[in-house]
Amino acid sequence: MSELSSLQKEPVFPATDAGRVDSVLRELRRIVGDANCTAARHIRYAYSYDLSFVQPKLPDYVVMAETVEQIQALLRFANKEKIPVVPYTAGTNIGGLTIPERGGILLDLKKMNKIIDIDAEAHVAVIEPGVSHAKLADALYKHKLRFGWPVGPPSASVLACAVSHGIGGLNAKYGLNSQEITSMEVVLPTGELVRVGSCAIRHDAWHSCLPLPQLDGLFKGWLGSTGVVTKIGLSVHPIPPLLKVFTVSCDNVEDMYSYMLNLSNYEMCDDLTAVSWWLAQVPIPYPFKPKPEGAPEWFSFATTTSWTEKEREARTEIWETVFEEEQKKKKTSIKQTVYPEEALKGRTQLPSQVVGSTKNYCKQGGAGISWPGTFTPAKVWAPVYNKWKEILIGHRLSPSVRMSMYRGVHYGMLRAMIPFNKQSPEETENARQAIVECLKVDLDAGGIPYKPPIDFANEINKRASPGYLELLRRVKALLDPNDIMNPGKLGI
Amino acid sequence: MNWKIAELKELEDKIWRCTACGTCKIAYDYGPPPTFGEICPAGTEFGFEGFMASKGKIAFARGILSGELPWEEELLEAIYKCTICAGCQNQCQLDHKPFIPEIIEAMRRKAVQEGAGPMPLHKNLLQSMKNYNNPYQGPRRVRTDWTRPFKKAGKPIKDINKEPAPALFFVGCTGAFNTAARAVPTATASIFQKLGLDFGILGENELCCGSTAMRIGDAEEFKRVATKNLETFKWLHDERGVKTIISSCAGCYRAIKKDYSLSSEYDKVMEGIEVVHTADYLNRLYKEGKLKLKGELPWKVTYHDPCHTGRHLNKFIIDHEGAQLWEGAYLDVDQSECLYEQPRDLLKAIPGIEFVEMKRNRANSFCCGGGGGVMTGFGEWATKNASLRVQEGMDTGAERIVSICPFCHFNLNEGAKRISSQIKVHDLTELIDQVLVASDGD
Repeated sequence: MSELSSLQKEPVFPATDAGRVDSVLRELRRIVGDANCTAARHIRYAYSYDLSFVQPKLPDYVVMAETVEQIQALLRFANKEKIPVVPYTAGTNIGGLTIPERGGILLDLKKMNKIIDIDAEAHVAVIEPGVSHAKLADALYKHKLRFGWPVGPPSASVLACAVSHGIGGLNAKYGLNSQEITSMEVVLPTGELVRVGSCAIRHDAWHSCLPLPQLDGLFKGWLGSTGVVTKIGLSVHPIPPLLKVFTVSCDNVEDMYSYMLNLSNYEMCDDLTAVSWWLAQVPIPYPFKPKPEGAPEWFSFATTTSWTEKEREARTEIWETVFEEEQKKKKTSIKQTVYPEEALKGRTQLPSQVVGSTKNYCKQGGAGISWPGTFTPAKVWAPVYNKWKEILIGHRLSPSVRMSMYRGVHYGMLRAMIPFNKQSPEETENARQAIVECLKVDLDAGGIPYKPPIDFANEINKRASPGYLELLRRVKALLDPNDIMNPGKLGI
Repeated sequence: MNWKIAELKELEDKIWRCTACGTCKIAYDYGPPPTFGEICPAGTEFGFEGFMASKGKIAFARGILSGELPWEEELLEAIYKCTICAGCQNQCQLDHKPFIPEIIEAMRRKAVQEGAGPMPLHKNLLQSMKNYNNPYQGPRRVRTDWTRPFKKAGKPIKDINKEPAPALFFVGCTGAFNTAARAVPTATASIFQKLGLDFGILGENELCCGSTAMRIGDAEEFKRVATKNLETFKWLHDERGVKTIISSCAGCYRAIKKDYSLSSEYDKVMEGIEVVHTADYLNRLYKEGKLKLKGELPWKVTYHDPCHTGRHLNKFIIDHEGAQLWEGAYLDVDQSECLYEQPRDLLKAIPGIEFVEMKRNRANSFCCGGGGGVMTGFGEWATKNASLRVQEGMDTGAERIVSICPFCHFNLNEGAKRISSQIKVHDLTELIDQVLVASDGD
């Protein structure tokens, strides 16, 4: 492993040991073939960084697997030789999750990109890790089916997003994308192939993780540190023909929270989201600029879909009731509004090239984007946002914040997308400091970051109960006795 | 004549506009219905992120500029294993979007300047350019071989070196020297004669347009031939009355229209001269009702968009002064010069043709695999990639694939042979020539 202009970590073995590199490469070639593995520096270099502030680090090898058997053989070998393995699909996360902390083998899964089955009757799709949102959207649409597409690049992996508790455009209706997983196939760090959920009992039954013990939890939210997920079953959903998006704006986060809470009680939205003025801009202003006087500070879009006009009318009636109730509240600033067209398109026409961590997120910053991305109780959104705003503006960064209500308990996503100029180490560090500061505020208020970079994992662990951390360590050691899978990411 | 051809260092700010988000890696359109397709030939074939679209190439560019990636054989090969098709550029939404092909070519230019590039087979090509003024190692006299049947039929093609004509047919090296692609100039000239167009060719005096040299990073060789060509065009305009340069070659067309505009003298030299692709020229006539088509071609046909007549002709709207967003912000793309509809309109106008689209078309067309010096440098891969495109054509049920680029024409033919496909590959001019009624009623 070699570091690129950053913190030096202890290498697993010296990359300069040419004999060792040759012998490892020989074995990797035997497993996946000559064309699918390399130790060439320029190839490794392209995997050494991502969009985030996380310092670049080189893997020692890059391997592309094409079959489950290859992954099994690879992990058996890596486990025996104690070589780290970092699973990689598209590298679109913004938490440095696939930057190899300790070098080793970067396992690129993009060639495993088959949609194995779409059961249009049962509403289950079975996919491999390399299937992109764009590919699945294309295939599902032929059956008039959909999934909770996130606001990431269309090339991003559906599986990686789901197993990492990623979010999507149907979170208010169906929950997180990880809650849509109905079964899994996984290669353990020691090379054994396991299945969890219904497919463990009958090979072609991918419909549910329940009522079995939820062993899928051993692989969700672990950031690729407990195994390589090679297949998942997913709930997919019919596309109702009628779309209605209710949009409001207001002057402060408290009024927006009140409105969202009220509307959320009716559980009728596919997506119930609010964004601050700075996030509603395409692109997010960088560095910070004040919003124009008189412009609302918050916008919300509540996306609903209906099968009939009557159903749509009923949803409209409910929404109008909510709106009127809010109007009756003292001094509310909530009003109906027109959401900026391109931004609304970016939120409802998913997957989208316009959002996708690109045009509206980082275009003005230049190369970099990271976040404090959290799951936070809705009742503390307002105080946390107000503190974040202070922190971010203090760092000359836009408080480009999103709040989204998830299904069930009134909690949801609270995050700020922070663009920065990655060409400048100073500006990158400024963004990192601001983000970590924001994160601490959120953690102290009861929120928890998702897809966390190590800086975040460390902050989580500082606050975690000893029993939780010990259990985490034991489970990790049980599954991965030699700590080869994406080591270092959990901060334990 | 001064040329404004950027060095890699000059593009550093653009290179740091890429976030590595990977939006460039696949073709996608929301629709509805949504459409998805692989877009990067190198990414499809080689898979590693470095090969993949602009995301990978930008990584190389950063590493080269920072000194973290010294010239090594494998790096060099990876940089040249790109068809510069601009498919990735079409997906990108960031400020470096307008410069993506230029960044890739600038890496190659740096490699050539520093003695590392180009690839060995490219060196043969460049030597041929120097020796023969064409990349095919063909003696000058061979350039006019394709004209013999016209002479034999008593319809010789005018030598514009000797006689004036308002239109120059710029034949291009591929049509002239690559026997498998000779149908392109032959059909083109036949059409022009049927239309009664007063045109001429430069014959043995025609020089390579320089497109391939530019694509593989030899800016000096490009400038040499481009400068001579521009001087010739000026002379033809002043002394031979040339007002229009028509080309049936997508590469020549792109070079003359776009690469030559990097010359400080371009506007002055080209004043009064219009550069037009044959497909566009014929479509104009068709719209004016001057293209009489008779007979029937009872074929199911699909169309392959060459990169050089498609997305390479995008015009990017950039906020140069920062008046709307900030200095250098990419605002929008103007596709009005891309030849997407013209060839399709002509195909649909041919009696009997049943036209079907491939899934990846127009701005999201999948490159045949021959561009960017790949056909010369990595012929086997170019053919393999072409066979993927041929298969896509076959999947539509089409019996014939039509295009408007002799390079694509040749490469797709090779691809069809590779997979023993029965599909036939044609240049659009071949079809038009079969059904065009001569203006004198022939």
